[in-house]
Formats: sequence, C-alpha cells, structure tokens
Amino acid sequence: MEVEISRRKFLQGTVAMSVVGATVATNLLSNEHGSSHGATKGHAPSSITTKTSTGEAVEVATLCEMCVNKCAALARIEDGVVTKLNPNPAFPKSRNMLCARGNAGLQALYDPDRLKYPMIRVGEKGEGKFKRVTWDEAYKAILNGTDKFPGMAKILDEEKDNRSSFLFCAGEGMAEHTFKTFYGAFGSANWLNHATLCLQTVVSGYGVTIGAYAPADLENAEYIIMAGANRAEAIVTPDTMDGFKRTKGRGAKLICIDPRFTHTAAKSDKWLAIKPGTDLALVLALTHVVLTEDLYDKKYVAKYFNGFEEYKNSVLTNKYTPQWAEKITGIKAKEIYEMAREFMAHAPKAVYYPGRRSTFSNNDFQLRRAMAIFQALGGGIDTKGGLVFGKKLKLGAHEVIEPMYAQAESSLGSSWVNWRNDFVDNKQDYKVRGMFIYKHNPMLNMPNPTKTAQMLKKMELVVAIDTMPSDTVMYADVVLPECTYLERTDPVKTFGGVEPSIAQRNKVIDPMFDTKPVIDIMRGLTNEITKPLWEITKKYDEDAQEAIEEDGEEETFAEFDMRIPFKNSQEEINHHMVASVYGEEAAHHLHKHGVFYPDMGTDFKQLGANKFQYYPENKKAYSVRGGKPKTPSGKIECNIPNLAKKGTDPMPVWRDEYNYTVPDGKFRMLTGRHAQFTQSGTANNAMLHDLIFENYIWINKRIAEKRGIKFGDTVEVSSRTGKITIKAYPTEKIGPEQVFFVHGFGEESEALTWAYKNGGNDNAVIEDIVENVYGSASLHETNVEIRKV
Amino acid sequence: MALRELVNKIVPIKEDFSIKSLLGFKKTPLNILVSFMIIGLLLLLVWGLTQYLIHGHHAYNVTREHPWGLLISGYIFFVGTSTGLCVIASFGHVFGIKEFNHIGKRTTLLAIITLLPGFIIILSEIGHPVTMMIYNILTPGTTSAIWWMGTLYGLVLTFIILEFGFALRGDHKWAVRFGIGGLIADISAFTTLGSVFAYLVARPIANGPFIPLYFLLTAIVAGAFFMFMIYGFKHKLNFPEEVEVTLVKLAKILGLLLVVTMFFEWWRMMTAIYGGMPERADTMMKIIGTSSFWIEMLFAWAIPFVIILVSKGKAIKALFFAAIPALISIFLMRNDMVHFAQMAPMQMLKTKEYQLAPTWIEYFPSSVEWAIAVGALGVCFLLYYVAEKAFDLDEEAHH
Amino acid sequence: MARYGMALDYKNCINCKACEVACKEENGVLLGADKHRIWVGQNEMSGVWPNLDISHAAFMPSQCQHCDNAPCQEVCPTNATYYDENGVVRVNADQCILCSYCMNACPYDARYVDDRTMTVDKCTFCSDTRLARGETTTACQNTCPTKVRIFGDLDDPNSEISELLRTREHFSLKSHLGTKPKLFYLT
Repeated sequence: MEVEISRRKFLQGTVAMSVVGATVATNLLSNEHGSSHGATKGHAPSSITTKTSTGEAVEVATLCEMCVNKCAALARIEDGVVTKLNPNPAFPKSRNMLCARGNAGLQALYDPDRLKYPMIRVGEKGEGKFKRVTWDEAYKAILNGTDKFPGMAKILDEEKDNRSSFLFCAGEGMAEHTFKTFYGAFGSANWLNHATLCLQTVVSGYGVTIGAYAPADLENAEYIIMAGANRAEAIVTPDTMDGFKRTKGRGAKLICIDPRFTHTAAKSDKWLAIKPGTDLALVLALTHVVLTEDLYDKKYVAKYFNGFEEYKNSVLTNKYTPQWAEKITGIKAKEIYEMAREFMAHAPKAVYYPGRRSTFSNNDFQLRRAMAIFQALGGGIDTKGGLVFGKKLKLGAHEVIEPMYAQAESSLGSSWVNWRNDFVDNKQDYKVRGMFIYKHNPMLNMPNPTKTAQMLKKMELVVAIDTMPSDTVMYADVVLPECTYLERTDPVKTFGGVEPSIAQRNKVIDPMFDTKPVIDIMRGLTNEITKPLWEITKKYDEDAQEAIEEDGEEETFAEFDMRIPFKNSQEEINHHMVASVYGEEAAHHLHKHGVFYPDMGTDFKQLGANKFQYYPENKKAYSVRGGKPKTPSGKIECNIPNLAKKGTDPMPVWRDEYNYTVPDGKFRMLTGRHAQFTQSGTANNAMLHDLIFENYIWINKRIAEKRGIKFGDTVEVSSRTGKITIKAYPTEKIGPEQVFFVHGFGEESEALTWAYKNGGNDNAVIEDIVENVYGSASLHETNVEIRKV
Repeated sequence: MALRELVNKIVPIKEDFSIKSLLGFKKTPLNILVSFMIIGLLLLLVWGLTQYLIHGHHAYNVTREHPWGLLISGYIFFVGTSTGLCVIASFGHVFGIKEFNHIGKRTTLLAIITLLPGFIIILSEIGHPVTMMIYNILTPGTTSAIWWMGTLYGLVLTFIILEFGFALRGDHKWAVRFGIGGLIADISAFTTLGSVFAYLVARPIANGPFIPLYFLLTAIVAGAFFMFMIYGFKHKLNFPEEVEVTLVKLAKILGLLLVVTMFFEWWRMMTAIYGGMPERADTMMKIIGTSSFWIEMLFAWAIPFVIILVSKGKAIKALFFAAIPALISIFLMRNDMVHFAQMAPMQMLKTKEYQLAPTWIEYFPSSVEWAIAVGALGVCFLLYYVAEKAFDLDEEAHH
Repeated sequence: MARYGMALDYKNCINCKACEVACKEENGVLLGADKHRIWVGQNEMSGVWPNLDISHAAFMPSQCQHCDNAPCQEVCPTNATYYDENGVVRVNADQCILCSYCMNACPYDARYVDDRTMTVDKCTFCSDTRLARGETTTACQNTCPTKVRIFGDLDDPNSEISELLRTREHFSLKSHLGTKPKLFYLT
C-alpha cells in the first residue's frame, strides 16, 4: 500500500539534518530569491508527479545534468512548476532522447532534502550539525573562521601565502568550468577531480597512441567489439542510441566481452565471459592473429605506424597466441581467431570500442594502448564506421585570470587516492589545510571512505558547494547551497564529433530557496575575500612586492583580482562567446533553442516521428585528416621509449602479475552501473529509487545455493577495506568466482530520505589499489568474502 | 403502537412481539453463548466497515494482480446459500413436493436473511456503491455479467420479500407467483455470478460453462446444509415427525446432488489436466496440491455423502453435525474458487531486475476483510432471531 | 477520427526504463511498484554460466494493448471503460465503481487502481495530455533512446505505422484470445 505523500508533508516529516538556531524559515518552500533574467519564479508542486495540463505552458531549452552526457531537454513550465522534461530534438549528440534519469530530473529539482540555504558547522566535524546563516555570513566565515574552524585569512597568513595550502576538487559538470576558473584565480596547484577515479587511463592510453580519445561511429560500424563497456546500462550519447538499433542480425554484429551478462550482453550477437582484468591478453592475442595471418591494413600501417616492427616482434616472440590467451582469459581460442578475422574482414568499418569507464585493473593503460593499436591495424581511424576525430565548433573567449603567486608550492599530485592517502599519512611536502569541494562526493566516489573521512576531519577548513546533503557535505565547515541545473545558466559548450554543435544549459526557473548558481557564489565569495587575501600576498609575495614598487599597487592588484572572471552574469558571458564568433542571431538562437550550429536552419530536418537529420551525409565530419593520427608525430605510436623512463612498458606486454587469481572461498569484487543511477548523485531521487529500491549483490546461483543464500537474503561483504551488508541476487549472469553490485548506494547521510543506508556502498569494500601510470584507482582488483547474516 | 398496527396491516406480527420479548430468551448457557457470539460478530462487522469507510480499499489486501479477495468469496457464499434456500423453499409450493410445503415460509425467510449479509459485503467491496447505483441505470453495461448479476439480484430480493410477505398474509396464490419469479431470478442471478468468472477468456481455469453450472449445484447443496443446521438448532435435534420426513427427503436430494457435483468436479479436473494446457493444467495441479481443496472434498462432499449413503438419508442428526463443517468448507471453497481463478499471473516477465520472476500470485485476506466477511454472519443470525420472534414461520399442516 | 496503435521495434529496447519515467511524469502517475501504466519486462536468464541463452534475453516493453475487442470494456458494468473516438481504450473515472472486473478480465495486467481517485487507471496513449495539446507522439515514444516505439493512425495508409506494419513482420501478444490488440511487436 504505497500512499502518496505530499511534498509539504514530507518536509515536515524529515528534518533529519539538525539545523540549530532560530532562523529556520517557517515556510521552507518560500522563494526568497528575487526573480531575474525573465525566468519563471518557481515553486514546488504539491505531489511528487504532476500530470501535464492542456493549458498554458512555457517551454525552455536546457541541458540535462543527471549524468555526464548533457542531453538536450525542453522543460515545460506550468504556472511556475516544471511539470515535464522532454527531449530536445535539435541536439545531434542526444538525438531526441532523455533516459530515465533525464526524465527524473524533476525530482532532483523538487527533492525535499535539497540544501536550501547557506550553513556553517556548529557541531563536531562529520556530525551534521549546522546553523543556517546568510550568504554574507557564510562568506565571512570562510574568510575569518569561527570558534569551530579557522578561516582562509588565518591559514594563508600562517602558510605565508602558499596558495597551494588549499585543495580544490570538483565533480564533472558544466559549471565545473566556473569553479575551476576560481581555482585558477586563487592560484593553488592542487586540483583533484574525477579523472583518476574515472577515465584517465583510457583518455591517456588513446591519447599517446593515436593522439586522441576519439569517439566511435557506431551508426555506421559493421562489427563492434564491446569489451568492458556497458553501453546499454552506462548510457553514453549518441553511442547508446546508435549502437543497438542494428544488432541481433540487423546489420551490425556486436560482440560483448564482459565477466557479467549485462544488458549490453543481452542486446549483443555474442557474449563472451572473460576473467576480470585479462582484456589485455585478449587484445594481444587478437593482434597476434592479425599479424600472423597478415590481416591488417598494410597501406595504413605503412603510412601511419611508428614502431610497427618492434611491436610485431614483441607480440610474435612473446607468443601471444589465442591458445595462450585462452588460458588467461577463459575465452576459447576458436572465438579469438574468429573475432580477429571477422573484425579485419569488416575493417575499417569495425570498432574495438574504446569505452568510457573507470580503471578496472592495474594494466588498464596498456590495455587501452593495445586496443588503440589493434583498431589502427584495421585502418579504422578517422573514417566512417571506425573511430572518428570529428570537428569541433569554435567558441569565443571570456576573461579569466591565472596570476602567479611566488609563494605557491607546486602540485602534490593528481591521483586522488594517492593524494588523500599521503595527506592522511602526513607524507606531503607541505601543509594543506583547507579545501573547496564542488559537486563532488569523495566519501562515496572512491575506494576506502574511512580514509576519506580521516582526510575531511583532518582538513581544517572544508567548504562544500553542492545541491544535496551528501555524505561529504556532512563533513563541511561551510555549506554553500548551489541551485540545481534547472535553475541556472551554465557556461556554453561546444560538442565535437561527426555532427558538431554548440549547446547551452538555460535557466528554466529561478533558484528556489536561498540557493545560487556557482558563478553567483564565486562572485559573492571573491568580493569578500579578494582584498583581505591580497593584503597577505602583499606581506609575503616578493614578486608582488616588486611589481607594486615598479607599477604601483593598483596595476599589480589588477592581475590578482579574483573578482574579474565573475563580474558578468553567465548569460552575458555566453552571449559574448557565441555572438563574437557567429553573430547576435546565433546567440539568440542558442538561447531560444538550446542548440546551434552553422546551417542548422537548412540542415536540421525532421524525417520521421523518430528520425531527424542534423547534417546531410556529405557534410558529416567522418574523416577530417584523411586517417592521419593526431599524435604530434602524426603516427600511431606502438613503441614509446619515453614510457620506459617512467617505469612503464613502452609497448603493451602481458606480465604475470596481471593474471587473474582469486583465493579459494573468496570472490573478485566487480562494480558497475545500471541505467537508472548515475553514481551517488542520483541516489536520493524519488523516481529513480522507485525503479530500483536498492542495490543487490549478484552472486552465482549455484554458489549461492551451496552457501544457502537465497534471493533477498542479507549477506555481509568484507575486504581489508571494510564491510557492508547487502541483499543477495543469485543469478547465472555472473561467474562462480565473482560478485557484483552497482555503485551509488549505501549513503550514510541521514539528511537523505531515500538514500540513507539504502543498499551497499561498493567503495566501502573496494581496496585503494592504484595503477602505476596515473595513480588511477583500480576498481576490480579487490577480493572479498561473503557471509550470510 | 401506531407503527405496529401499520406493519400489522401489511404483514401479521406475533402479538407478543416486543423489545422485551426479544431480550426475554431463556438464559441457558447455550443461549447466552449464542447471543454473545452474535454481538461479537456484529461488533466485528461494525469495526470492519468502519475501517473500510476510513481507509477504503487500502484496508484490503487486494492487489493489481489479485483484485478480488475474501469479500467477493464471502458475497458468493451468502448469495449462493440464499439461492439454494430459495430453490428448497420452492420444492413444496412450486414443484409440488408436499413434504416441503410446511417449511416454505421459514426457508424463504432464510433465503432473505442470507441474501442481505451478502449485499452488505458486496457494497463494502465495490469501491463506489453510490456511483454504481447511478450509472447502472444511466449507462448500463449490458455486455457485463456483473451488470446482469446486480440487476437480477435486485429482482431476487424484491421477489422473495414479496413472496415472504404474501406467505405471511396467507395469500398463497401471490406467494407462489412471486416464488416462481424469485426462483427464476435467483437461479439466473447466481449462475450469472458464475458467468462473471466463466466469461474470463484470459483465465483458462475459469473460462467455460463449468462455473455457472457448478454454482447452481453447490448453491442447493449449501442451502441444504444450511437447512440442516437451522432445523437442528431450532428443534435441538428433537425433530418432530413432520420435520423428520422433510429432512430425510432433503437428505436424499442432497445425496443425489453430491454425486452429480462430484462427477462434475471429476471431469472438470480431468479435462483441465489432460493435455497439459498452460495456465489450465498447471493451475489445476496447483489446486489439487492445496490443503483447502482436500478439506473441501472431505467435509463438503465425502463425509456427508457417506452418511447419506450408509443411512439411506435417515441419519439426519449426523447430518446436522456434518452440516457445520460442510458449510465452513463451502465458504473455503468459494474463497478458493475466487483465488484460483486469479492465481496465474497475466504478466510473466520481471519488471525489475531485483525481483524473482512472477510465479503463482499469493493472497491472504487482511483482518478487515475477515471482519466484514465473517461479521456479516452476525446480521444473518440476528435477523433470523428477530424474525423468529416477530413472525409465525411455520405453516399449518392442514394446508 | 483515427484508430491509434503502436508498433514496437522491441529488439531495440535496452531496458533503460526511460519510457516508464516519462509516462509517470507526463501523466502524473503515482510512484509505487504496482502503479505503472507501462513497463519493460525481462526474463530471468536461463542457462548455466557462461552458457546463457542469449536468444532468451530480449526486453519486452508492454502496456495496455488498446484492443479493438477489449475484454475490459466488455465486462464493465457502467461503461466507465469505453473506446474514445480514436479507438483508444479509456476509463471515465466518474463512472468507475471500482468493481475491479476489468482488472481481472485484462489478459495483459495493464490496469491498476489510482490511489487518489480510487478508480481504475491505465495507459491512455497520452490522450488527455500530449494528444490533447495537439502533439503527435506519446511520452514514451518521444523519450525513448533507441526509438522502440512508433505511434500513429492505423486507418491512415500513409502513416509511418501503417507503412511499417505493411512491410515488417510483427506479432501481437495473446492475440489468440481474440482481443485484436493494437500494439504490434516488430520482428
């Protein structure tokens, strides 16, 4: 018996986060922020879902932020309530679609648990006790501190203007750019984002080998090997839309290689279960077949390969045969032969799909290099049906400052896990004492949250900018509530590819409660801190002192004035960046339709209810360099001696330590995605929660039976990192030595109605193992124990 | 007193009937127990109806996949028993079986007082009874078995009340006329209720002619058991000769009906299983596997049949003792019929990853459903007691 | 006056559930597992790892089939369930008495009780929302990433759906019951 709970009632019932002080508004839903830029003043609807009406409505073109894809949406506003998000057909990248999360964006906007006003900590760190303050009070607290925590002025003064004593970290998003602008102006060298918890190794692996992390043209590929990528569940636009319309004997053969039977496996023509972390052996064996049977594109190799002979020699002398790989990967030699031959028969319209995912194993960088080389052997680079560099439309510039502070120390590294562990273990060269966190949840998003908690507790000043009271926000000293993506205009962005375009997230309604977009927060904050911090710089920075003597203070300060990048509104900045290149008309078009590209007026056509033309076939940028790689040498780099200097293999080779082994009775812990959740950011979404109440652990059915584990039984999962409890889902979709559960659950913040202690957090059991090239977290290297409780 | 005279003009009321006479029963332990039981049942009903009025259908355990529950079965039990009683009541005057003449009035009353609790139950099952009354007339769904069933039961109630009224007045001509009308309407109504299930093309276990015919047979069986129970109590097993003759005759008819029904049940079972048709054979096998099916077989059919067979229908005292478990079993049987019809899911795929594939749909009634379905029995007993005190229910033997 | 139907290119379906959410948000359907108008079904995989029956892994989007001969309409005692002028099977909440007969009669489990009105609710092909505003797609079709659904007028020989049904093989669910569904699964 599920009974509708009105939003208002819900708010009364869930004041889980204790807000101390007499300033709590009587009506939490009142909009205290003035209306601006002609956007609609918003208010929350009376129930969780609202039927759209046939009456008057306003439509605003915007971009989704429920995941990283930035699909174009049209928001329908009726009487101040956003009642529906529809796909915006005009955007070539998202091809007239919004996924479950995109549709559930309304629930992010109207989440009753949202951060509603600035707060400063009054309890112990991590306790979640805050006091509501005004924005000015919050900025002042950041500058001057309170009796509970020191302010920026004190820290910088004590650290003698070492700007790097502040860490900046951010999650992915369009406004990350604005936050990063602040980081640049502030002058710290310590920046951490999702890269080393995400796609660093794939981007770099492809980058050094073919010169770019290029998208795959799945719309035209005839043969696709999708290994370790799950496009049906980890949606990437337009790959997901293009990839599954022709599989199952309908024009494109899709081979899915994954230890688990994912939705992608379900949609593929063949699924091959591989032992986790052994993909590199598979690619080397595929390469071996291609080299021994002379199946590669000889013209392309002759023209564009560097170090081909060395690589060929390495693959052949190491005897990376399919028979060898069968033992390592568990994939039959026969299948490997067939795959290599079929791939090359279809090449260049064949794709070994690069994927977009976290680092899973320690050999991930080498794996990506081997994949890129294998792809290039078929000549499928910068060509229709292969990997495509595509075009990118130019955008105008906007004003930023990146002053040099003489006292600022250099970076302490870009690996999140290493940085954190070094900080906690006091292994850093200088003291970092404060941090700014934007839309980032390190408590949930990286292995070993115990260590992250230690870090956040040790950090003397933690400023968090977020929309939701996440686990990380609970450790903040100052909480600055950002408005959601539907309440703000974000920096305009150009999207490259075969069909390039420019798109913009337009504000749909005015910010609700006492929340602000990042650019407004940065404007307010820099207004407060710039001058006092300048005094500290003047005190310690000899270069600045010299410059003042030479040019006078006013001129010198202008180079250090952090307020400059934020003086204009985002709307003004965007308008300028587009109008300066494409004219006023284009800027207006972008504001109205959300998307712009030259000749859109004639080229963009609806061909059917589900079909749109963005560019005519002859204008699509399938090939922009005639196949020439984008590396500095213009060649595919098989052998990179420089890597050896850094202690990394110059060519992809298999090493014994890469072998997959699981001690008896233990399981290899796998993590991943379902299409209804984007990491922890969507964990508290009422609608998505309705689709998946909680995550379950996949365990092989026969193993579960042996251990007496039935569907829905609670099991304890433990590793050296920690333990969690989670419900069991016995299934044959996973092998006997592995377990899996989806990321993004098991939050500990009591302020989250739906997400609090809901399901299990994968990172609480994943060990903080990193690969050695970039220090990226290797998420599939942990063995766990399972116990029925 | 004016009211009394007015009522008396319509139907004769016993002279000593008053509130005082209602409370003036002999305070034997059994009588006190029965009176407490009736009060208890009525309180249960009132509580259940209150819960329904507050929470609506949320008070019930019915679901999307199993929208009909105990209240539907309770309704079928009461109105089915009523139909059976109506048929038995007409044995005498309509079919001319003389031994049944003297029980006509009482049996007609029993038909009324079992029909009314059925109506109470169905009104608490229908989500919007007032809307029903309006739109049944404004926009009749003439292709709907429920519409016909509802309309026919309206007629049934009218006819048998009139029949009873005229019988009380001693106007046998009109009593018989309305009796025939009531009989036809009642048999039509209850078999139409069977067709509510029988028309469900999507549910092979229910679809087909079996249920309406089975309803007709089992209605008379239930009515007969009800007669044994009521007459057993009334005469405290000390049957006057006249009653004994009637009950022995009834037992023989009951025996015949039990045989026929068992044949029906057997062939239905066999044709359902044979060939293994999905949703029919597997559902039937599932039915055979339930304990309630065997309870029903044993107490509603086997034991009474053996008693009748062995005693050639003369062991009417034994039949009284068999009647109560038999009626409970028939109640179970009605419930099983409703549940079994809905047991096979219409949608066999998982709609969420983390769920087991749909199998047999489970249902267990909520406490409110139990309270209303069982509590309605209190209305039945109370009305009987009041009617017994108010009216002269026995017909003169000289008729 | 049209005769609306929907073709489903179901092999495109990746079970992302965008349609389910779009439906709930567009039509104000309540949250709750059994309060869905449309859904995507999946089989629990058969076979033994790693030899799974990939042929058995299709996802099946489903919903009210808007039967031309709808059992739910036939059994409704008050004609609350009716065919609208476009052949869409609709429920008039004012006339619904919640006897639940239609829920029992529907061979597709396409009906449920709306807790606010306590009447039976179901897919309307967005007739009272999108179509009423003059739009030509349903919420589920419009939002679908892999474009599984094609909605349109079966009586119009020039409509996309008519063209598709003429040229592509298809089947309907439980059509042996004589329900004449207007949802067509393209093979």
